[in-house]
Amino acid sequence: MKGLNRRRFLQTGAAGAGLALTGAPGLLRAAEPKVLNVTAYGGVWETSIRDCFVAPFEARTGAKATVSLGAPAQWLAQVEASPEKPPLDVLIMSPDLAITAAQAGLMQDLTVDKVPNLAHIPQEFTDACLGKGTYLDYGVAGITYNKNTVPNPPKSLAEFVERVSAGEFVASVPSISYAITPIMLIWMLAKALGGSAEDVEPFFAAMKKMKNNLVFWAGPNDFFNHLASGEADIGIYFDGRTWNHHDEGADWIDFINPTEGGALTAVAVQIPKNANPLAFDYMNEMLDAENQARFAEIMNYAVTNTEVVYSDKLKPRITPWQQTAFPPYEAIGKARNGWVDRWNREIGR
Amino acid sequence: MAWLALTVFVIAFFGFILAPILVVVVISFTSAGYAAFPVPGWSLRWFWRIWDYAPFLDAMRTSVLVAVLATVLSCLLAVPAALWLARTRKGWANAVSTFLLSPLSMPMIVIGFSSLFFMTAVGIGISFPALVITHTVVCLPYVLRTVTAVYRSLPPAFEEAAAILGAGPLRTFREVTLPLIRPGIAAGALFSFLTSFDNLPVSFFFGSAQTNTLPVVMLSYIENQFDPSIAALSTLQLGLALICLLVADRVYGIRKMTVAA
Repeated sequence: MKGLNRRRFLQTGAAGAGLALTGAPGLLRAAEPKVLNVTAYGGVWETSIRDCFVAPFEARTGAKATVSLGAPAQWLAQVEASPEKPPLDVLIMSPDLAITAAQAGLMQDLTVDKVPNLAHIPQEFTDACLGKGTYLDYGVAGITYNKNTVPNPPKSLAEFVERVSAGEFVASVPSISYAITPIMLIWMLAKALGGSAEDVEPFFAAMKKMKNNLVFWAGPNDFFNHLASGEADIGIYFDGRTWNHHDEGADWIDFINPTEGGALTAVAVQIPKNANPLAFDYMNEMLDAENQARFAEIMNYAVTNTEVVYSDKLKPRITPWQQTAFPPYEAIGKARNGWVDRWNREIGR
Repeated sequence: MAWLALTVFVIAFFGFILAPILVVVVISFTSAGYAAFPVPGWSLRWFWRIWDYAPFLDAMRTSVLVAVLATVLSCLLAVPAALWLARTRKGWANAVSTFLLSPLSMPMIVIGFSSLFFMTAVGIGISFPALVITHTVVCLPYVLRTVTAVYRSLPPAFEEAAAILGAGPLRTFREVTLPLIRPGIAAGALFSFLTSFDNLPVSFFFGSAQTNTLPVVMLSYIENQFDPSIAALSTLQLGLALICLLVADRVYGIRKMTVAA
């Protein structure tokens, strides 16, 4: 039976059954020419992506872009499963996964001839993705506090540790179940207290001193609830999220970038190998100064194009990336499992 | 005294189970722009937000469609298998049963991840049929277990009597077996629907602009947004589960179904 092998039988049978059962909303996508599949987080992120990047891309190229909601680990797995014909053309990634994807050889090099606006992005951001991607925006992990209960907040992480240890206030810090904790807490505190990614002893010593005055948050909502309910007065959190809470009515909340520099937590963008060539046009729109300025205004986060002019409202909220602590993601990735293991043994929450 | 202690224990137990759910329901009616408890005021704005935000509605439709199709497919595959497994004396029936029930003992994230690679390898990739097939794999054991349990409790005499009176296998199944195993099918279908509808670890790997289910969109939404619309969605999901249970109770009786399970 020439031409009917097991794989073809499975393909035909499953696809046919799917069509018959469902009308196949998922199968018709591939037939469209000039359709780009891009990614976004849900909610205001997605609507901003549509307004700030998809709309100008569609207007400029005449192509269409579909937006897939999800998370970086999901998108990376999907590209990994089908590297010859990736189902997605532009990925939103966390910095550590961006390095993993680049090292796995799944992503394309970004160059100024393919993406002209890359010329306005600090080289450090592209280098952080090993040249196979760059950063779109970034937040800073620092000290968020309740102005009503902490009228004189600590200015540095060292002061934060001393005053929490002394019992002056209760602090809410991320628990180990939160994915970014190794960066925004373990590495950041270790570095601020004289350690590094190779030596996190100062962090664990600080946690031991503070342990009686700490509560732990597993997700951003927990942190806000800790402050809103009075369970904690201060904590380690992100600048953009603090301003979002502020703009939603919590005018008692405020943020400080510690003098040692808060940990920079960025959103990376990458193009998989074998993606639709239009992905470079879309990436160029994502890195455009005007588009990024509008995106920053909605998201309350700093963006990466150096030509961006922030509004008067946003300007005082933006921390220049040079005043942040740039995490060594590769070294953190190697040490992360050991940190988690030690955290579970010594802190346990 | 013992009666009092038992009563206190039961109330405390149910309080412990129900309190977090009640908090979510209460927060879904908050007037505040953020999720906090107690709530400062009451409003239905977060339920309106669900209607406003198209990906929630699209994902809800996809979730319902996937759950219904996976449940139907599970029943079509699991009921004949259960009938055979309950009566057969073949030595390898245990191996077949273990194989069909094995998704219950595997982490769902492993099933999702491996299915993504398998479906891609056979050319279906990230598509609606792939999502339905993978959900069926996860849901099938629930129907198999409940139908097998009910069918094993029935003496073969009913079917033998039908055969002696001249009914063929199909008529015996339609008029004798099916009415008797119906509570088992209903219980399995209910578990199957709810398992599929709430599933995140499997759906996660098959998410795309066309195939995202509600839990995947909810996860993506809370990545950067913390308003109480997720609480409102959870309240709606809870309501849907309650409606399913009430309908099942009216039609078959929960007691019969729990015996089957």
